[in-house]
Amino acid sequence: MLTRKHISKDVKWWIVVAVLAALPLMGVLPSSYTEHVLILIMLYGSMAQAWNVIGGYCGQTSFGHSVFFGIGSYGAAMAVVTFGFSPWPGAMVGALLAAGVAVVLSGPCFKLKGHYFAIATFAIVEIFNRLFMVWDWVGGALGLDYPLVEEGWMNFMWYDSKKGYYYGALILMIFVFGVVRKMEKMRFGYYLLAVREGQETAESLGVNSTRVKLSAMALSAFLAAICGAFYAQYNFRVDPSMVMSLDMSMKFVLITILGGLGTFWGPLLGAAVLIPLQEYSRAFIGGMGGGVDLMIFGLIIVLVMVKQPRGIMGILDDIAMKSREKKEGDH
Amino acid sequence: MKRLFIGRTMVAKLFLTLFLVALLTGGAVAAEKVIKIGTLFPLTGPCALAGQRCQSAVETAVEVINNSHPEIKVPGAAAEGVLGGMKFVLVHADHQGKPDVAKSEAERLIDQEGVYAIIGSYNSSCTKPASFVAERKQKLFVCGCSSSAALTKRDLNRFFRLAPTDETESLEFVEFIKYLNETKSAGIETVGLIYENTEFGKHAAEEGKAAAGVAGLKVIADVAFNPGATNLNSEVQTLKAADPDAVFGACLGGDYTLWVRTMKQMDWLPDVALNYCTGYQDPIIAKQLESDGDFFMGGTGYSPEFAELMPAVAAVEKIYMTKTDPSVPFDSDCIQEAIATLILAQAMELAGTTDYDAVLKVFNETEFDSPMSLGGMVVFAPGGQNLKAMSILTQLQGGSYKKIYPLDLADTEPVVPMTDWGSR
Amino acid sequence: MVTFLQVALDGILSGLLYALIAAGLSLIWGVMDVINFAHGEFLMVAMYLSYWLGFLWKVDPLISWIASGVFAFLIGALTYKLIIRHTIGKSAMAALLATFGLSMFLKNACLYMFSPNFRILNDTILGGKTFSVGGVIFSLPQLATSLFSLGVVALVYLLIKKTRLGWAIQATAMDKEAAELMGIDTERIYVLVFGLGGACVGIAGGLLPSYLATFPDVGGLFSLLAFVCVAMGGFGSIPGALFAAILIGLVEAFSGFYVAPVFKYVAVFGLYLVVVFWRPRGLFGW
Repeated sequence: MLTRKHISKDVKWWIVVAVLAALPLMGVLPSSYTEHVLILIMLYGSMAQAWNVIGGYCGQTSFGHSVFFGIGSYGAAMAVVTFGFSPWPGAMVGALLAAGVAVVLSGPCFKLKGHYFAIATFAIVEIFNRLFMVWDWVGGALGLDYPLVEEGWMNFMWYDSKKGYYYGALILMIFVFGVVRKMEKMRFGYYLLAVREGQETAESLGVNSTRVKLSAMALSAFLAAICGAFYAQYNFRVDPSMVMSLDMSMKFVLITILGGLGTFWGPLLGAAVLIPLQEYSRAFIGGMGGGVDLMIFGLIIVLVMVKQPRGIMGILDDIAMKSREKKEGDH
Repeated sequence: MKRLFIGRTMVAKLFLTLFLVALLTGGAVAAEKVIKIGTLFPLTGPCALAGQRCQSAVETAVEVINNSHPEIKVPGAAAEGVLGGMKFVLVHADHQGKPDVAKSEAERLIDQEGVYAIIGSYNSSCTKPASFVAERKQKLFVCGCSSSAALTKRDLNRFFRLAPTDETESLEFVEFIKYLNETKSAGIETVGLIYENTEFGKHAAEEGKAAAGVAGLKVIADVAFNPGATNLNSEVQTLKAADPDAVFGACLGGDYTLWVRTMKQMDWLPDVALNYCTGYQDPIIAKQLESDGDFFMGGTGYSPEFAELMPAVAAVEKIYMTKTDPSVPFDSDCIQEAIATLILAQAMELAGTTDYDAVLKVFNETEFDSPMSLGGMVVFAPGGQNLKAMSILTQLQGGSYKKIYPLDLADTEPVVPMTDWGSR
Repeated sequence: MVTFLQVALDGILSGLLYALIAAGLSLIWGVMDVINFAHGEFLMVAMYLSYWLGFLWKVDPLISWIASGVFAFLIGALTYKLIIRHTIGKSAMAALLATFGLSMFLKNACLYMFSPNFRILNDTILGGKTFSVGGVIFSLPQLATSLFSLGVVALVYLLIKKTRLGWAIQATAMDKEAAELMGIDTERIYVLVFGLGGACVGIAGGLLPSYLATFPDVGGLFSLLAFVCVAMGGFGSIPGALFAAILIGLVEAFSGFYVAPVFKYVAVFGLYLVVVFWRPRGLFGW
């Protein structure tokens, strides 16, 4: 039973990937704006999945992920803008640095419980934001603007077509989701769940909970930083309020929880619903001014949380349950 | 079994979502006889006020262009539409003050809505990526009031900016101080800076520092703060302790009023306080501050007190005032967005076609007649800066903006040093 | 020396204001273990009410704080009834995200209704008045707000500690089921607590327009500081929140003046981290 379930999940995953990979080739995407929305879904889905490692599987609600995300984006941007180099090594350095920072900061933070932990991660974001704002070497409040560079995979930069970014985002998603899928199946994944369900019990079974949590945080930060690098490359610009802000941190949390916390599909579902909602509501009614789109957005978050705190996965479960009951009733 | 079943529904849902995404974005149909123009401003978020005013200014300009207004003495106002009756149709977008949103909205305006040109985007940090997109996609980007000097130093070919930059303003501030020292022996030797620590504030402060340095003024206080402050006590206390003769300020909106009131509370004032395009220019804030706002100075591109210098504005302003709630006159920032729209129309008219090459040629080679601009003319340098952009230094006296410098345009003697709080 | 005292005074005064905002949050957190993300927006809405009362009918903030308090009480109670009640006992994050959604809604609803203009009240009774003692300047509006906040925080504290209602609230906070068995209507207690939490921040919001501009984004930093006050003070401890708030005000003022204004929140948030790393349940937490 267990194996069958796993196989089918993997198969489903590759079907999703195959469809996403084929979409641009089939020419069914009406415009580059659709591509843009799909890129954002894949990017934010990956970000949420990165957060899901620590927030969902391990149960530590971090609002600090924009720091790691930011370090990654600064890594890529500085490689290009400051050193006139390819973003790839910058992204790698940024990701490793983010993992390091995550381990250093999380050590003491993991001693905190519940809201103390959440607010500590807020505080860390604010501190990083303000320090980066005055740190001239990384551009300070002015931020870093990309110069015109040669297009292509080497510079991970395309100007006219979005195809490069599209496949870049797809590869990013395959990588992040692949790592998490792998983790789910490994012993490490079960350790995480054990720690989430009860630290004491896990310890008594011989799981070193501190080490498990730190490794999960490092992995999560590493993945978030890579997403950050992509974000910088995609937007041609980095500044502290773009990447290292509570706003950005909230996105990680929101998408995951709205999709379904601690589930493999949750982050992708959350992004697939939330991102089009955000983009299209802004496109259709945002221009009227007055923030009506954001009002609706806020209300939907309230509604989902009130009706089904397990998010879209929970709603789908409910639907499935109902239709199953109905079917059984028919027999 | 249950698990498996859920899985299937879920994949189905995922496809459905993707399908919906595809459906929702059906291509836009370009209609004939209209020219679509995109506007891109911060309609929500911390800069929403300025953004909404800029949007209204563009709407005002479009009303002038599309309808026959013989009473308005602005090129193109009398005729209906451009190029023999083609109307401007606006597509509005909101970038929320976020560069990433600005970039994606610019792409949407161009790819999805098929706009001919974009007008925007207030925040320099948003104008940068948005205009970059327009350049790459070979559209036009006309910028009204983003003030970062760097914008027009990027060698873009399709980017034009109307307003003076922070650099120009800083030079004007310093020149004015020199004038005060020479003719009024004001004895201003030291400068303090107070600015919000954002792209805008930091940029203004750097230009201010550079200009002060060149003129031999000593910068003795450099106070950056985080916008949206709960109090500015330590900021003002720092200024007070350093006690500079002149202060260059870049505080927007709510922070500006807080700054002024905190200085009053701490009973301190510099001899002169010069402001970049900030809360100082907001007529509503000026009115609300009452006498507390008096004797502050700043670079002003337009205010209703300039009526005799720019007689053409009044009739346009009347339309603008119906579009804002509460009704306000033009301010230095948003009038530039209206001018940007008018210049675009004028260029198309002069080119006689919507063909980009022809229109660009006009942009690059024409001395535009622009009665709405303080300079009266608009001429673009390579890179897109309006060479005729200028602002007048004004001082608030009795709640109205009095022109004090340059001398040939001035109508009032500046009050220097500022009257201290006790004697108002 | 005068400067030092002035900086200290400014710090204490702004600290007391943070205390009033934090007290409401602390109450809610202590009783329900819910972080109200929309707390800053409650403040903003209360400021708007006070502003409009002052602007349209010339009611002074010294009076309209009552209206703002009552109004915010209702908003708080309503928030509980419509939102929080449905999230209790589900996931810990549900209430937090729901209030985040609410904050987004309130902020943009005010933007939509009132436009983003910065609104300032003029001609308030205390507006702009100051007096000075030995060179140290006291600003009357800020002083009055601080004294008010001290009074309100003390009242809330007494209410919790000395009244039957307060004991019921404490009992509910400690063990909901046991409290119910003892005949306490915990549902009513929750409504009251959320209302009271709203009322505290509402009173602060009612007084603020006498010296701070009102606009849709005004709540952001206040709520963040309130979170930090509450957590630094310790789970549900109102004296703790008061103490932490004054400490934060002082750190903000001193680091802002003696280090640099840009670093003041680095110092404040840094202080929080130091405190909780040293005492993981805050200064007064158990």
